[in-house]
Amino acid sequence: MSNAYLTYAGKRLGQAVIVILLAYIFTFVVVSILPGDPITSVLRNPQNGFSEQEIAEIIAAQGLDQPVLVQLWHSLSAFLTGDLGMSMRSNRPVATLIAEVLSSTLILASSGLAVALFLAFTVAYGTQVVPKKYGQGLLRAFPSLFLSTPNFVIGLFLIHLFGFQLRLFRVIEPDGFWATFFAAITIGIPFSAQIAEVLIANLDHEAEQDYAAVARSRGIAPRRLFATHLLKPAALPVVTVIALTVGELLGNSLITETVFGRTGIGSLVQRSVSTQDLPVLQAIVSLGAVIFVLVNLIADLLYPLLDPRVKIVVGRKRRHAAADDAALGLEAGAKP
Amino acid sequence: MSLVSENIPGLSPLEKLRSLNITPTVALSFLVIAIVIAWSLAPQLFSGHSPVNGVPADKLSAPSLEHWFGTDHLGRDLYTRVVYGAASSVSSALVAVVIGVVIGGLIGLLSGFFGGWVDVVFARFVDVLLAIPKFLLAVIVVTALGFETINAAIATGISTIAFFARVARSEVIKTRRATFVEASFLLGGSRGFILLRHVLPNASRSMLPLAVLQFGESILVIAGLAFLGYGDPPPSSDWGLLISIGKDYLKWPWLVYAPALVTIVTVLSVNRISRWLRKSH
Repeated sequence: MSNAYLTYAGKRLGQAVIVILLAYIFTFVVVSILPGDPITSVLRNPQNGFSEQEIAEIIAAQGLDQPVLVQLWHSLSAFLTGDLGMSMRSNRPVATLIAEVLSSTLILASSGLAVALFLAFTVAYGTQVVPKKYGQGLLRAFPSLFLSTPNFVIGLFLIHLFGFQLRLFRVIEPDGFWATFFAAITIGIPFSAQIAEVLIANLDHEAEQDYAAVARSRGIAPRRLFATHLLKPAALPVVTVIALTVGELLGNSLITETVFGRTGIGSLVQRSVSTQDLPVLQAIVSLGAVIFVLVNLIADLLYPLLDPRVKIVVGRKRRHAAADDAALGLEAGAKP
Repeated sequence: MSLVSENIPGLSPLEKLRSLNITPTVALSFLVIAIVIAWSLAPQLFSGHSPVNGVPADKLSAPSLEHWFGTDHLGRDLYTRVVYGAASSVSSALVAVVIGVVIGGLIGLLSGFFGGWVDVVFARFVDVLLAIPKFLLAVIVVTALGFETINAAIATGISTIAFFARVARSEVIKTRRATFVEASFLLGGSRGFILLRHVLPNASRSMLPLAVLQFGESILVIAGLAFLGYGDPPPSSDWGLLISIGKDYLKWPWLVYAPALVTIVTVLSVNRISRWLRKSH
């Protein structure tokens, strides 16, 4: 723990807090400034049967009769104390609504992440040990195929094949083991493609290095070369890729949960979208930003400890170049 | 150096084509994209059926010579629906990319070129856009704007701004440090002149493959939004919407797999072209 590291950590922490606050304000501005008025579209909708007095009560309770800046101030100061406000539709605290469904989405996201890592490392391992004439090209095509497939198509394919044809699970029991397993595959596959692309590019880059040639000339087997030499340097940037894309799991849960009929954050978003329940949407989007910022903070703080080659320099860090490339899916080997 | 990299005179068109290094898969990808563009420009040339009115007697029939992709629950020819859906599925992705490239590129250009507080302000803004999960961002924007395909495209475009801003910024900074830009400053070029004449064209070159890549991803995001019902309502036939309708008829799986296959092949082709552009430029 050098002094430079602590300064860097403090600075990074400050940045994280600022980004979270700005993300909250940004979301607030998007949902309140853009056209589309929840009061007329939802509360005055005759289907909902609110009386004028009830509407006035809801408006007063939500503070919707006040200027936008005042609303923002109230909302932001409540957010800072951990109060996410009240749902406009169900008149229950937003925090309770989220807490009810959070565990389901966490299970989905974490098993999806596990599936993604397993698939990515398996495919990447294959590209290094499978000879060219036995289908290495096929393995290399997997990431781009997975990146080009909408994840609802993957989900529907799995449901059709394993649910309808093979009857491995029942679609009406979305929380059963197999249903969760296939939902995790659905959410994990596009994610695995992103990890695999970076991993394969890094492995290829490492395999061209002199030290790898030396190891090969001493007669090392491809499997051992992969495990003892290539894997470690190639896998480190994967930490960055995961950190940058993990927030997307929350967004993608929207589609996966719809396809599999699960309840979770995604289905809560969908319900809130259709009822224009802005406080819930505001809270979930901010939650997404908080998760992203925290995960990246952890990754940034871990990185100099994991990789001694990374020197902390004042100003922008070296890691960012790798992170940018990873986020863009650029091949590391192709860069000058 | 520039003498060598200029087009060498005396190269025949055939040799020029060969120097582009078009592999069979790249040629195939261009063919796929050409077909999809033709579908969106003149769908009536590709199908004699109506995309909206079906023949109830023919409902849910399997793919055949008459109905290439089969028919849906209202007896409408699915191939025709896919062809007519190309326009909004693909052109809306184009709108998204244009929004992302123009706004994101402008942000990157200004913050990379001027640096200082301009850079700091924009960098924070981009950090915020990056922090919000892209798909969630698209969902709240389309919720605020209203459920239409064009709004889904705008929402998707906004969610790509951060990506393009970062790329443009790093490219601009790279170009700014080049010797010829320094030389232009020394020769008395104004900032605006150098920005437009030197930095913009050079920085934008590497944006092209990424814009194409993002085009493919936007097709997927817009299909996702349409799948959730945030695009144009039926009887429009965005590919995502077709798949969403098809999922209620999984006993007739072509209703899902035919539009899904078209989407996958289109995005695969777009990504292949992007990869080729990146390698050859």
